[in-house]
Amino acid sequence: MGLTSQRLLAVAALLAVWQLVIWSGSLPSMTPGVPAIVTAIANAFTSALFWTSLAQTMTAAVTGWVIAVTAGTVLGLVIGSVPMLDRSTSILIDFGRSFPVLALMPVVIMLLGATAQMEIFVVSLSCLWPVLVQTIYGARRMDASVVDTARTFQIPRLLWFRRILLPSATPFISTGIRISASIAILVSVGVEVLSQTPGIGRQITLAQQAQRWDQAFAYLFFAGLVGWGIAGLLNLAEGKILKWNRQAND
Amino acid sequence: MAVQAAPEQEQVATAPLLQVQGLTMSYGFGDAENKILNNLNLEVNDGEFVSIVGPSGVGKTTLLRVLSGLIRPKSGTVSVGGEAISGPHRDLAVVFQDYSRSLMPWMTTLENVAFPLQGRGVGKKERNEAAAKNLAAVGLGGQGHKYPWEMSGGMQQRVAIARALAYNAKVLLMDEPFASVDAQTRFDLEDLVIDLQSNLGVTIILVTHDIDEALYLADKVIVLAEKPATVVDVIETGFGDHRDQVETKADPRFAEARARILHRLRSH
Amino acid sequence: MTETALRTPPKPGPGTVSTKNASVRQAGGTFRERSRFAKALLNVLQRTWLIALVFAIWWTASANSTNIFIPSLEDILLSLRRDLSNGVIGSGASYSLTNLGAGLLLAVVVGIAGGLVLGETRRLREIVDPVIHFFRSVPQAALVPLIIGAFGIGQGPKIYTIAFACMWPVLLNTIDGVLGVEPTIRKFSKVYRIPAGLHFRRVVLPAALPQIVAGIRVALPIGITVMVVSELFAANKGLGFYILNSSATFQVPETWAGALLVGVIGYILSLLFIVFERRILSWYFKSGAK
Ligand SMILES: Nc1ncnc2c1ncn2[C@@H]1O[C@H](COP(=O)(O)OP(=O)(O)O)[C@@H](O)[C@H]1O
Ligand SMILES: [Mg+2]
Repeated sequence: MGLTSQRLLAVAALLAVWQLVIWSGSLPSMTPGVPAIVTAIANAFTSALFWTSLAQTMTAAVTGWVIAVTAGTVLGLVIGSVPMLDRSTSILIDFGRSFPVLALMPVVIMLLGATAQMEIFVVSLSCLWPVLVQTIYGARRMDASVVDTARTFQIPRLLWFRRILLPSATPFISTGIRISASIAILVSVGVEVLSQTPGIGRQITLAQQAQRWDQAFAYLFFAGLVGWGIAGLLNLAEGKILKWNRQAND
Repeated sequence: MAVQAAPEQEQVATAPLLQVQGLTMSYGFGDAENKILNNLNLEVNDGEFVSIVGPSGVGKTTLLRVLSGLIRPKSGTVSVGGEAISGPHRDLAVVFQDYSRSLMPWMTTLENVAFPLQGRGVGKKERNEAAAKNLAAVGLGGQGHKYPWEMSGGMQQRVAIARALAYNAKVLLMDEPFASVDAQTRFDLEDLVIDLQSNLGVTIILVTHDIDEALYLADKVIVLAEKPATVVDVIETGFGDHRDQVETKADPRFAEARARILHRLRSH
Repeated sequence: MTETALRTPPKPGPGTVSTKNASVRQAGGTFRERSRFAKALLNVLQRTWLIALVFAIWWTASANSTNIFIPSLEDILLSLRRDLSNGVIGSGASYSLTNLGAGLLLAVVVGIAGGLVLGETRRLREIVDPVIHFFRSVPQAALVPLIIGAFGIGQGPKIYTIAFACMWPVLLNTIDGVLGVEPTIRKFSKVYRIPAGLHFRRVVLPAALPQIVAGIRVALPIGITVMVVSELFAANKGLGFYILNSSATFQVPETWAGALLVGVIGYILSLLFIVFERRILSWYFKSGAK
């Protein structure tokens, strides 16, 4: 039997176990069975509300993520390549990266209201840290030979930044980008769950409150699917862009 | 040798192109101070090929880094064209020992060679032409689209040499450029450098721990020894412009000079 | 997610990188002839001046704030001190941290056990790989309303949510760690016919430990986030509840104080984790293994 059919079989087995557990009555009665979830998933496809919510979540997630990636990369390169700045900011950055940004939600909602801008702000604040931290690592690890080469050829600051520092740090930056992409989705959904800003997270909460558990599970399924798809795409892109990195360090 | 602007002509006739005076260098401070170079003096004339030879760890790389302006000496001066340098200098190009890491793996060979020119503001078309020309000069014509990591060690070192040539500096500084390639490639590269030097008239200062290589390549061999290092001997090889891996090395003067250098290094 | 974890341990880079840079900087002559004490002081100053500055700016800028949503830093700290000393925060924090600890522990146990099994059995790993990647892609925060809706606002559901969210990085890193065990060490185990149990416990587990610990390091902030979210969503106890309750009753300084406190706790936990890591992995750091 091929790997694919075994994989499908594993999924089928998982669903069967789910259904059995439901029949056995050991889960709360409202938990939907497999047929209900499958129907709900199919229905979601034709539901305008679903697609709108998904688009709202994705817009906020992607916008916040892009802001974070841009700011994190630029800041990280500057900080990582200036030892004095690196030392000065290290505690502040350690603090920021371990700060559970979602805990700020009530404060941020007070200041900005339960709006899409607020969601974008929280997403970009959460995504900033992995990009920033990874970029700083990357910039710190400039190869001494490369540094010397650029100095002897008197490469101007801006060109050095763009053509040497940035590419040499890209393996690290791309790791940061990948981590922050999954954080972006996690946080945007989290913000929607907590603040009832429009999006998938809000729909899940609403469905649950309306006792439409099948719908809630369907949305959850799509949220996972999107996260999975994005992770896969980024992996692919990274492999392409960083061909030199793998080859050069074979 | 090289054409100079008229007003400077007189000065050039008398002053060496590169001059080192009273150079002292150490790493660390206070109790941890480790003196590497002690009161070094040397002169390199325009168009000359000078080897600096000395045992491993004597301070050759340190000297070359001072010459290239990458590190500042404790005391003493390095002057190029009569002017003391205070950092990396337009007239100096360096070929590092660690060629595989001094080429940027994210740039093609052509981009690597053209990059220093881009830094100087040369337009894209012009710098790419210069890069292609210099790649051809080191025997890599038509290979500009390849990445450094697609090339052998010897080819990578050729790219590094092409990059230094394209920069069009007066002096090429090379730190053990052929130390990590196989013997045959090494001979090829040595002959390439000799050809380039006589064709282009650049001044070359090459650092090596290999006495044969130093003698074979150079017009003048400077022997470094002792701790901290000083110049213990200067030998004019006098082999002229024509060199041959077999003939030159069989020259009785070659054997004599080698014995003299070995003796110098042993007695210190 | 696993990759940062793998890259974060402060490995010494290629020797030349650090030494050469250091020498260049020293040769500039800035630190010449300074006593060791002055150097240490300078170092501390360099690392702390920015925090002090941020604090000072916040303090002065907010001192006369007229925006009711932006209380003065002084008010925030005063309410923090009050609620710390009267035990309100203390009891909430102990509830939250208990949940976090229990959830994390559960995740670590399940993650390591699952990871060891999957790491050792190639076929099984390949079969369930897509399922694992799907589950770990589900945004953990979205589970909160479902689990709380189904099981209520008690302690158990919160612990399970935290455990579910934290399990994936541990599991994936354990698999990576098992796969990275030196083939020679494996062969040794085979040649000497080490029994399976002993092989797992004394060979595979220690060899994979650096990766496993890295996975736990990734899981920790996820756990803290899920902990707060589950309490912000619905709870009657805990730090998240303290924040939510303060905000719902318009006690603005308390809301800020709670949010900042959670941040400080997150920071302290990450520092403690580093200490823990240094201890449990001392052989790894000492051996200078990569
Ligand atoms: N960055 C540095 N910091 C401290 N000591 C160094 C540094 N670089 C080289 N040294 C020391 O200086 C001496 C000379 O080194 P180097 O110039 O590299 O010698 P060579 O190139 O002749 O082999 C060696 O003893 C080496 O340990
Ligand atoms: Mg050397």
